Amino acid sequence: MSSIKTMLGVLACKGARASLRVAKSGGTTLPGRAAMFFDKNILADVSKNMDIIVVTGTNGKTTTCNMLEQALSSTGVDVLANKSGANLLKGVTAEFCANANWKGVPKKKYAIIECDEGALKQVVPLIKPKVILVTNLFRDQLDRYGEVTHTLEQIRMGVEKAPESILCLNADCSLTASLAKDVPNKVVYYGIDCPYGEQKEPEVSDAKYCINCGEEYKYEYHTYAHLGGFYCPKCGYKRSQTNTAVTAINKLSAKGTDVTMEFRSGDKVDKENVLISLPAIYNVYNAVGAVCAYTAAGFKREDILKSLSVTSSSFGRMETFDLDGVDVQMILVKNPAGCNQALTYVTSMDEYEAVICLNDKTADGHDISWIWDAEYERLASDDSLKKLIVSGDRAEDIALRLKYAGLDESKIELIKGWDNLVNAMKKSEYPVFVLPNYTSMLALRKTLAEVTGAEEFWKG
Amino acid sequence: MSKVLKICHLYPEVLNLYGDRGNILCMKKRLEWRGIDVDVHECKLGDKQDLSDYDLFFIGGGQDFEQEVLLEDLRSGKGDEIKKAVNDGKTFLCICGGYQMMGHYYETHEGVKCEFLGAVDFHTIGGKERMIDNYAFELGKESGGSIVVGYENHSGRTYLADGIKPLGRIIKGCGNNGEDMTEGVRYNNVFGTYSHGPVLPKNPKLCDFILSTALERRYGEKIELEPLPDALEMQAHDSVYDKIISGTIK
Repeated sequence: MSSIKTMLGVLACKGARASLRVAKSGGTTLPGRAAMFFDKNILADVSKNMDIIVVTGTNGKTTTCNMLEQALSSTGVDVLANKSGANLLKGVTAEFCANANWKGVPKKKYAIIECDEGALKQVVPLIKPKVILVTNLFRDQLDRYGEVTHTLEQIRMGVEKAPESILCLNADCSLTASLAKDVPNKVVYYGIDCPYGEQKEPEVSDAKYCINCGEEYKYEYHTYAHLGGFYCPKCGYKRSQTNTAVTAINKLSAKGTDVTMEFRSGDKVDKENVLISLPAIYNVYNAVGAVCAYTAAGFKREDILKSLSVTSSSFGRMETFDLDGVDVQMILVKNPAGCNQALTYVTSMDEYEAVICLNDKTADGHDISWIWDAEYERLASDDSLKKLIVSGDRAEDIALRLKYAGLDESKIELIKGWDNLVNAMKKSEYPVFVLPNYTSMLALRKTLAEVTGAEEFWKG
Repeated sequence: MSKVLKICHLYPEVLNLYGDRGNILCMKKRLEWRGIDVDVHECKLGDKQDLSDYDLFFIGGGQDFEQEVLLEDLRSGKGDEIKKAVNDGKTFLCICGGYQMMGHYYETHEGVKCEFLGAVDFHTIGGKERMIDNYAFELGKESGGSIVVGYENHSGRTYLADGIKPLGRIIKGCGNNGEDMTEGVRYNNVFGTYSHGPVLPKNPKLCDFILSTALERRYGEKIELEPLPDALEMQAHDSVYDKIISGTIK
């Protein structure tokens, strides 16, 4: 029986949400705050008896959730998902309240929830997910969390508060995989079992030394950044055997990736070719992680394998726009690891223009120094780059970074204002690749949506 | 004969936070653009080598949990060589954790004392609150007197001993300790600062000042560096400075 407090909370949340949408605002935390004003733990009531998968980690949360949600939806069930990117306690609360009837009873049975690493410890004790998927850990927004090991501790605190949840971990990330130690949860691992790309150490590794003993890791093979077949020669900490693995990368293209996956349970091994509709190696990780979490939650493997071949991108992540005949692709970039992967992808293209947008608002992190850890040299030395436009609050910093990366200053144009930027992009004779960070992506995407008629994110 | 400068990047594999390696890139480019040869050597944990060979040393900031391995390495001899180089007037640029390491010790908030190099007369006390934000300071005359913009992110509060000069005076932000308006240290040819950003690209005057200090020590004569077209550098400097002063960075 739901309490008066719960009812009031749900009503307050729905009211706040409705009035924000009338005002054409995508505001996502106010409704949650309104609900929590009446009942601090309202989230526990409005998520009761639901089957939930939570996704956390530095990179790939949104895309992985998208893969999971589209797989589940393809089976004909209604799925709750926090697609707007509101992944803190208030935003998650708002999503669940909106799904509840006036008594606080949830309408949908299934939910795929993206959760901020720091908010995990507040969210999971209330929603009790079946599975918690941790994608990876990279340095990100350091001014918010301090250091990557601090983020790891935040996640551990969350996992410990949900001992019944199955923990689904990226075996290739030494930081992420270390979560398995000392937690009571059942753990399953996923990863890429084969080498990918140049087999060399990244210029800046986020996890060079053993998390247990401080010895330098060695690698049997690399995939990208610090991910791969790591082992510590001193204490013996090493990559775990994977339950769901990519064992071969057969074909990569701008349209997607063809891989071989293996599924292991006990002595039983199944093998299948899987087509992933989103390009780039990090989406291979997102896909294999999604398959692992999906099956761990008890859903049918065939459904997600089929769905992966047609998964559409989520907003700003490899999303494409037709801007008056100019092909525009937007790749959200928030940290050096993600940026290097995006640059590898972009520089594999024929002639193109690039746009880099950099804001330093709170959601981005006020510290933008990470741009000096990313390898923009790849872009600067690429002859196929016809022009670079820089924009956003810190456009000047990106221009300077590219100058020192070796790009001819005459190729750099600085444009402020999203309307001005979109107008300049319209004039391009080449495809345009846009690499924005978080708030600049939201702002530019809004302008692009107005011009091209793409959906606004909170309506998705 | 063309000039050459030898740079030693200390512990690049451990002290590599917040884009600090951008400082190496900046120094390298600004020397090359002037036709000065530059040789950057990475000196890693466990490397045994003669540090007296180098003109300029760079030490960046790192993550706390990795700092312990580094102290061991310093105690095994490298620390003494660094002290000798400081006393010889070699040029050092030390950032954040690398800066703290040049002092006598770091005492945590809980009172645990960690012995550092003691190459320069100062110490650091751990604080509860982190001092995090864009900030600006004015360099002392002996360091060129220009205005520096940077990004600070530290909980340690550094206190300089009497007679030890700071690198500059705070215009806006916290600096060494948030109390006495000092920022960083300037001792012999050691330039210590809390500024990430990285500090040099947006502050080309400071970069050139440090480079000429190292060149003068190497060649034993006054060196005038040829001016470079710094429009992009100053544009980046000024745009951040305006935000810091007007408080609109958020």
